[in-house]
Amino acid sequence: MAPLLELVHVKKRFGQVTIAEDVSFAVEPGAAVGIVGPNGAGKTTLFGVVSGDVRPDAGDVLLDGRVVSRLDPAARCRLGIGRTYQVPRPFDKMTVFENVLLAAQQGARARGPESYAHALAALDSTGLAPDANRLAGSLGLLARKRLELARALATQPRLLLLDEVAGGLTDLEVGELVSVVREANERGVAVIWIEHVVRALLATVDRLLCLAGGEVIGDGDPREVLASPRVREVYLGTDAAVGESVT
Amino acid sequence: MSWVNAVIQGIMTGGYYALFACGLSLLFGVMGIINLAHGDLAVIAGYVAVLLVPETHLPVVWSFLVVVPIFAIGGYVLQRTLLQASLDRDPFTTLLVTFGLSVVAENALLEAFSSNGQSLNIGSLIAYSFNPTSTISLSYLSLVVLGVAVVVLGALQLFLSRTSTGRLVRAVADDTEAAQLVGVNYRHIFGIAAAIAFATVALAGIANGMYTEFAPTTGPANLLFAFESVVIGGIGSLWGTLVGGIVLGVAQQIGAQINPAYQVLAGHVVFLAVLAVRPRGLFGLRTAP
Repeated sequence: MAPLLELVHVKKRFGQVTIAEDVSFAVEPGAAVGIVGPNGAGKTTLFGVVSGDVRPDAGDVLLDGRVVSRLDPAARCRLGIGRTYQVPRPFDKMTVFENVLLAAQQGARARGPESYAHALAALDSTGLAPDANRLAGSLGLLARKRLELARALATQPRLLLLDEVAGGLTDLEVGELVSVVREANERGVAVIWIEHVVRALLATVDRLLCLAGGEVIGDGDPREVLASPRVREVYLGTDAAVGESVT
Repeated sequence: MSWVNAVIQGIMTGGYYALFACGLSLLFGVMGIINLAHGDLAVIAGYVAVLLVPETHLPVVWSFLVVVPIFAIGGYVLQRTLLQASLDRDPFTTLLVTFGLSVVAENALLEAFSSNGQSLNIGSLIAYSFNPTSTISLSYLSLVVLGVAVVVLGALQLFLSRTSTGRLVRAVADDTEAAQLVGVNYRHIFGIAAAIAFATVALAGIANGMYTEFAPTTGPANLLFAFESVVIGGIGSLWGTLVGGIVLGVAQQIGAQINPAYQVLAGHVVFLAVLAVRPRGLFGLRTAP
């Protein structure tokens, strides 16, 4: 069986800056993978390559063993790739429910009652149901992050790309979001999660990738990856959170 | 009483301006396209009606039944091809491309129809009016156009707020990238928005042809009034466009009442005054985008 997602020799440069030199990895269906790396390591750009926002200079993206490199983001979403933005981008002038319903109808190609069921399930699992009729623009940061997650879940993804969901939240809030992500993962949704809050990541993922200088410098058991000399060298003095969790 | 009449005539002219301007507002609001060929589109609609009326044996007043669908399809196709290709480059390119379209349209029309004025002859209907007092005269044609404008704007508002396709239009207008990320084929939605915009400008072009003569070169002057209506009302607000059109129409008629030479000038003065006092228009968002 082909892996759910496969990146093959992906290369991306912006001018002189190399974002990805030669990145290859595969993710199995239902996996939970974390990605760490210093700022500017190209983590978000890599998500762009997977979701279709960014066109790589070379290399391919495969979903279910099929090359999807030439498909636009909408087509990839319909094939099962859901993504959240680091800074949530809900449709502010719509209600929370409209935001999620739209995602269910477009991303999951659901119609009528089915689309409502998908939308309600996404709101329930993220705890947003009480806010369903509020305008998205009136929500606070935590609720916006939940909505970003709910919208991605409503598209019925098989692969969920999470970009720093925990950033800017309190420990308690992070815990709530982590449980939403774990729940989705337990239902069989594969998760790839970029996160600086390593504690949140370790509670969820069973595999960790470390990106630096456009390369994968660590890949495997989260604690082993964080303890490896190369990863520690990259992180030392740059990210206290990782330092703490390693020691 | 003639002042009252001026205001009433202004309101009715405003209905026409709003009908004409709502397509301009929609193209800008959804795709960020400033369509410099908008006035020429209205003129083309007039010529299409002139050509088709003898062929189809439809009464002139019903010519919109043929012209509007042609324009809707044309709008969709043009958006999916030329306009999308220019959007893919950058917003400035769309400005150049629509300007180019305007020049091409004018010259093609000049070549095909000469510079003589044309009009859509609706016979004695043009003269039908309703006179509640001796000094106030309401032309049926103007009343119908005002009614059509209100119905079109109301229908458009309902479409945007109540239908799932309308929701998609709002989504791509708000954030095209985020819309794509949840599976929205934004190019198709842009096409639908363009189809609606072209359909409304076809209606306006036909109305204009019934009121007055048009010629290949009258497009840009009309475009100016549409711009002023949109900006006075506030970009992104459909009812604002209706109010903007009415404010412009009333200003022009009151100007004409003072001195017939002041008609267009008065409209420009009010436009500038609104810009100075409320740069985002009467109904525009006051907060920064």
